[in-house]
Amino acid sequence: MSTPEESLATLLQALHQIGDVEVGTSLRTCDYAEDKIKLYHYAPLARPAKFPPLLICYAMVNRPYMLDLQPDRSLIRELLYAGVDVYLLDWGYPDGADRFTALEEYICGYLGRCVEFILEKASIKSLNLLGICQGGTLALCYAVLQPQRVANLITMVTPVDFKTPENLLSKWAQHIDLELLTQSGNVSGEFLNLIYLALMPFRLTQQKYVNLLQMQGNRAQLENFMRMEKWIFDSPDQPARAFREFVQWFFQENRLIRGELVLGGKAVLLENIKQPVLNIYAANDHLVPPSASIPLGAHIGSKDYQSLQVDVGHIGMYVSSKARQTVPTAITRWLQKRSSQGVKRSAQGVARKRRR
Amino acid sequence: MTDQSESTHPLAPIFVKAWDDYASACQSLFQRLSDPSAAGSAPMSMAFFAPWREFAQTLGMDLNPQSGQQFKAQSLFAGAFPALGISREYQQIAQRLFDLTGRFQRCYAEFQQQGADMAQIAVKSMHRPNGKESPVANSPAAVYEAWIESAEAAYGQIAHGEAFARRLADLCNILSEFKIERGKLLERIARHLDLPSRAEVDSLHRQIRALTAVAHKPVPAKRKGAKSRRRRAT
Repeated sequence: MSTPEESLATLLQALHQIGDVEVGTSLRTCDYAEDKIKLYHYAPLARPAKFPPLLICYAMVNRPYMLDLQPDRSLIRELLYAGVDVYLLDWGYPDGADRFTALEEYICGYLGRCVEFILEKASIKSLNLLGICQGGTLALCYAVLQPQRVANLITMVTPVDFKTPENLLSKWAQHIDLELLTQSGNVSGEFLNLIYLALMPFRLTQQKYVNLLQMQGNRAQLENFMRMEKWIFDSPDQPARAFREFVQWFFQENRLIRGELVLGGKAVLLENIKQPVLNIYAANDHLVPPSASIPLGAHIGSKDYQSLQVDVGHIGMYVSSKARQTVPTAITRWLQKRSSQGVKRSAQGVARKRRR
Repeated sequence: MTDQSESTHPLAPIFVKAWDDYASACQSLFQRLSDPSAAGSAPMSMAFFAPWREFAQTLGMDLNPQSGQQFKAQSLFAGAFPALGISREYQQIAQRLFDLTGRFQRCYAEFQQQGADMAQIAVKSMHRPNGKESPVANSPAAVYEAWIESAEAAYGQIAHGEAFARRLADLCNILSEFKIERGKLLERIARHLDLPSRAEVDSLHRQIRALTAVAHKPVPAKRKGAKSRRRRAT
């Protein structure tokens, strides 16, 4: 039995030996790039499924490699194994040149051009869109504005109603003077990290490090921990104008669910979402509580709405074994079903025309 | 003479006295300079420095480095003392930074008080867990787990409250103001050193954005037949 001092020394030595960790392990190519953004296309790992490519739109506040953290903890890899043709939109690390870029430009501009690129490359009229966290909110806006481009929409841990009693982040955001916050430039990633830590300070700044002592002998576990640690604190600076608009319009004014959001001169009305929607949320999410995601079904115009609750937390949705066993399969099956229904519908349409 | 009755700042009478003494010292200096008969006689008095030396000493700026007294910035900035002279704008920035520091300290003290309340709630709930045996008697690991549980629960109670949200926003807003003032100072220093300032870089970014927007603007398609009509005309 080793003393606490010996345990600590062993742990520190093990961490030192691990050094920098590798993240984002699946093979991919950058198909399109513009300013800071990059559109990645993943190499297939199985026979292609018979439905359009899936574009993943991740949040701007964190790095998307969380979706492909390591070979055995990768949502993207699981989708590839199921034959999904996966694209990922990486917002990059905005800097001073992006401080005046509007939210509208991110949604209608960058996201829109990535969609157009995929559609042209695949010679199709619409694709499948998976929006995650804040990226889900952006994807919802895009789907409203360009419904013909989105065949099926999947939202994952996506806030829709930003003013529910459980939403701590929203409560804190209400009194922040956003003009002041963004007047001197972009909002630093460190500031965001502090806010995230403050949501659960005892667990996130103490307990998790104390728990490290229990995994000192397990190199694989320590590497997993270090990958998570790298991701958690790898928060890009937020472009001043887009961030101000997002926090004001969504957190402070809750415009999306109130039907008051306008982008590019067009009203963003959730009721205009008519395509099939799968809404996946985490039961124990401290960042996007279920109450923020669940209302989506009641506000969209789609008759084909399905929700899936996974018994994990926000981060567990990307890396936990529970989510890994549920989510990729659920997405693939759901897309497959819609795809075959689409084929059936179009076949019925052709038959009807012929009868006429 | 200057009227001293209008000012309410505690330093105002001292400042006005320094100003009056300085004015009379200058007056005698000018008289002497304008008197040709005085030229070449005794060396000129530097008495006009004395009022400001006394004034500086009143503020705590002891000119004797051995004395160990420190400059009390709060004496200079705590109130409505006007920023004057060649460094007026720097003084204004410094005054605002000083005010913001004070506001931040007060706000942070209130914030910490909420933290202390939270700790009390956490300790109480740890000793009286809902219908469960107190973990204190169990292993150190169990005690630690119980502490984290109780602390998070207590923190959650307070963090969800309106008072906490307001204090947190106040701290954030004060820091934002501080950053803006610091930016103004750095902007001036950058100009002095002939370095590109934030304002210049922003201006360039705006121009590039405008040019890019023009470059990306779709060119209107030529009307059908326009070319052939032109050909026919020539």
